[in-house]
Amino acid sequence: MTKKKNKSMIQRRLIPTYIFLTICSLISVFPLYWMFAAATNDTVSVARGSIAFGNQLLINFTHLKAAVQGTLWSSMGNSFLYAIVQTVVTLFVCSIAGYGFELYHDSGKDKLFGVLLLAMMVPAVATMVPLYGLVSKAKLLNTVWAFILPGISTPFMIMMFRQNSRNFPPDIMEAARIDGLAEWKIFFKMYVPIQKSIYAAAAVITFMNAWNAYMWPKVVMSDNRAQTMPMFIANISSGYTVDYGMTMLGVLFCSLPTMIVFFVLQKQFAEGITGSVK
Amino acid sequence: MEKKKHGMTLANKQLAAGWLFLTPATILIFIMSFYPIIQAFITSFKTGKGVNIQFASPLTYNYSRMLQDVIFKTSMKNTFLYLIVEVPIMLVLAILLAQLLNNKDLKFKGLFRTAIFLPCATSLVSYSLIFKSMFATQGLINSVLLKMGIISENINFLGTAGTARAVIIIALIWRWTGYNMVFYLAGLQNIEYSVYEAAKIDGANGWKTFWNITVPLLKPTIVMTAIMSINGTLQLFDESVNLTSGGPANQTITMSHYIYNQAFGQGVGNFGYTSAMSFVVFILVAILAFINLKVGDTRD
Amino acid sequence: MKKKVISLMLVGAMAASMVACGGSNGASSDGTTDGGADGAATANVQSDDENTLTVYAWDENFNIPALEAAEKDYQDVNPDFKLEIIPQSQSSDVEQAITLAAEASDYSTLPDIVLFQDHYFQQYATNYPDAWQDANDADCDWDGLGSEKLSYSTVDGKHFGFPVDAGTAIFAYRTDLLEQCGYTIDDVTGITWEEFDKIGKEVYDKTNKYLLCMDGDGNDLFYMMLQAEGVSQFKDGKPYITENETLVKVFNTLVTLAQDNVLYLANDWSDYTDQAIQGDMVAGVYNGNWIIPTIKKVESNKGNWAITTAPTLTGKEGYASNGGSSLYITANCKKAELAKDFLAYTFGGRSAEDGQSITYDEALLNGGVIGTCAAAAESDVYQQGVEYFNDQPIYADIVEYTQNVPTVEQSDYHYQCRTALATALINVLQNGYTAEQALEEAETNLKFEMGL
Repeated sequence: MTKKKNKSMIQRRLIPTYIFLTICSLISVFPLYWMFAAATNDTVSVARGSIAFGNQLLINFTHLKAAVQGTLWSSMGNSFLYAIVQTVVTLFVCSIAGYGFELYHDSGKDKLFGVLLLAMMVPAVATMVPLYGLVSKAKLLNTVWAFILPGISTPFMIMMFRQNSRNFPPDIMEAARIDGLAEWKIFFKMYVPIQKSIYAAAAVITFMNAWNAYMWPKVVMSDNRAQTMPMFIANISSGYTVDYGMTMLGVLFCSLPTMIVFFVLQKQFAEGITGSVK
Repeated sequence: MEKKKHGMTLANKQLAAGWLFLTPATILIFIMSFYPIIQAFITSFKTGKGVNIQFASPLTYNYSRMLQDVIFKTSMKNTFLYLIVEVPIMLVLAILLAQLLNNKDLKFKGLFRTAIFLPCATSLVSYSLIFKSMFATQGLINSVLLKMGIISENINFLGTAGTARAVIIIALIWRWTGYNMVFYLAGLQNIEYSVYEAAKIDGANGWKTFWNITVPLLKPTIVMTAIMSINGTLQLFDESVNLTSGGPANQTITMSHYIYNQAFGQGVGNFGYTSAMSFVVFILVAILAFINLKVGDTRD
Repeated sequence: MKKKVISLMLVGAMAASMVACGGSNGASSDGTTDGGADGAATANVQSDDENTLTVYAWDENFNIPALEAAEKDYQDVNPDFKLEIIPQSQSSDVEQAITLAAEASDYSTLPDIVLFQDHYFQQYATNYPDAWQDANDADCDWDGLGSEKLSYSTVDGKHFGFPVDAGTAIFAYRTDLLEQCGYTIDDVTGITWEEFDKIGKEVYDKTNKYLLCMDGDGNDLFYMMLQAEGVSQFKDGKPYITENETLVKVFNTLVTLAQDNVLYLANDWSDYTDQAIQGDMVAGVYNGNWIIPTIKKVESNKGNWAITTAPTLTGKEGYASNGGSSLYITANCKKAELAKDFLAYTFGGRSAEDGQSITYDEALLNGGVIGTCAAAAESDVYQQGVEYFNDQPIYADIVEYTQNVPTVEQSDYHYQCRTALATALINVLQNGYTAEQALEEAETNLKFEMGL
């Protein structure tokens, strides 16, 4: 009885929280609603900012399937392939690096990390020409490598794993070493499992960045058959006249995968306080 | 003696393992980032376009040219305005949301989380279309404000310097708060619940707990998101290009947008000059990131 | 459970990289053109087939149908011929591709042919001369292609380009709105800008619509209005702004028009097409004829539009052109003879000699592309009335305008000048500059940019 009362009291205390979160959510979701609505309207209604649902969904879909020489599905396929490869490779390369930098840290590694950090501070536009030359000389244009290589090892991801490794207790490592566990096994058996939440967050971010990447893929994936979803969207959304109904349906297709990935992985990094590190 | 030798090899092994772990990432960054950066640095001393490019005399020509470039100075001013206003608001809001969502007793957490994250998963095309149409002279925001009696006639938000900058800042907050929240949520996982329980027993209220426990424990994450946000804002490009095209009269243009225009936006690029401008951006980011690391990144 | 996650990840990483490697190796020897989901394909922008040419082009609703028509046309004389069109999102993608290939000194990444914006070609030819192959010996009907158009694609007297669309400017009016104010299309043809302002004010008062609109950020009005007067923004390769009396007059005209609510300056391109034109805010549009498909998007205004020439300062009829592009053969084309023959036959006007050409007719029907070829304009397709424009034969009219466009001095800094003048206009309208100050600043900034 007392317990029940207590619970409802807590709920009442949370009312302002609910209100605040609801407002934030509505503001965040409104554009998504608008995107759905727009995908069912014709271009003039969309351009005029109509927020009601229309009856053009099927027509828009027919147009979308025929657009850019009918490459909707192949673009989707390409984007999935590149984004998944990118995510898996990046997570592996950056997590071992972040682990190495933090848990084996000495002044040499700290300095090296500082140097690596510089790599993200130069605007992409400055390095685009030399990087393109590099990839073109290596004969990698229009391959998945051209897409992923520059993005695999990013100072940001390394930093993310490095910062979060700080919560990994060194005692565990010592104990494992005494048990005779090899260094790489400590990483896979001890570190990876308890950093699940960081991996999940990193996967969401990497997948999203890879999926939405546009400027670099645009220049290295010049062939139709290598086209990605954002390139497909760019092809239908610029031109002297744009069909906005069709474009918004395309955008919807383009946004769904990142949303689904987030929805699936979010439990991993945000299921309340667990106190799993012990 | 025997034992000591064994210990040495173990230490060596550990040392080797430590370096091995960071080798792939380091090599990739050297090839994919530093090599192009050095190339670009050399280019920054050249002038001319296409086949006519050659070393400038004096070598610092591009760097001194910048001092006379009115539009570059405007773009720098705009970028810093975005940085100073947007980053603090966004990060505080993100921590606050993460903290609220990290409540054991809260229901519909998944729903709220997903909703707040969605903006950054929305593609740039729809995002810019939506903002442009909402803030259009005949758009939704105008009609709402008009009905509420806050304004007496429609405002051309994106066509006037002050309001256009405000729209860019609002758009940035809208798009990236949920993104930063994700890092804080992940970081909060490593704070043990018992710490909070202890604080509660000590009689600390919510605000005190937040300030004295959550913030210090999240410090590594806060440093990281701050560096990321500073870096992202100083290299801001998408919003300037897609929402306002840098206009009206270059009043909202960012440094990266201006550099891009000079490189690819208006015919054959002046790559010597764009490389030089990029290095100025680089130095600015590096200084701010360094300060950030010095202030916040201490192992205790 | 945790172990499972890890092993799953590792297997995934291995599988993914194997797919990636395998895909790229497997497909590099594979020359077929069917588009599969195999994204790792080492696709090439060059085709091994001796009868196939590749081309970069943008805009599915405009240029690409024109190229498809050309392919079909040329198959009449060369049945094995294939044109592989690689769509780009916009013209700047093609410019970027040339820039990157040239800067990396590796032209092997380019297709055989590129569609290229006219205003940009000269500077790409000067700065990257090795990127192009001239087309001087192509069997074209050069005299019939419009001399103003060809002036963009000719370098040192040598032809490089094959014209696709004319870019000839039109002034489209809403006749129903004019009528409400007691005017007809003839009343706005061959008038001065002063008279135009008077009519415009009346139209705004009565209908709440602007008689003229433009993207205020990429303001093409200066260039078109000056060309209609036969004057350029450049003189001997230098900016010709503050001392250019005509330009100052045009500038002041635009200030007046904007202040009188006759001219609506949109914030950017999409605001111009979506809000101003498709959002039904205007009673008049002045731009290159490629703007017609945008106007036609508003179904409810069918029959209410008519086109004519632009006003001028003196009241004679104004002819100008804006935008437009041509096809160019890149350095990477190893089938130059085929490319020249194909382009000469289609866009070089050879197939139009008998007055009927599939290229020109279908480009017009399917894309609304109006060519510059005088002979092609005699076909029925060009002569017929257009329902949307109240059965006015607008295409024949536009071809006629094309012949009257004066040639004016061009510059590599065309777009930089456009930006500088657009900024000047906004500075006067919003930031309290006088016209003199604004133009002074525009000239200084432009000279700075040109390194003068």
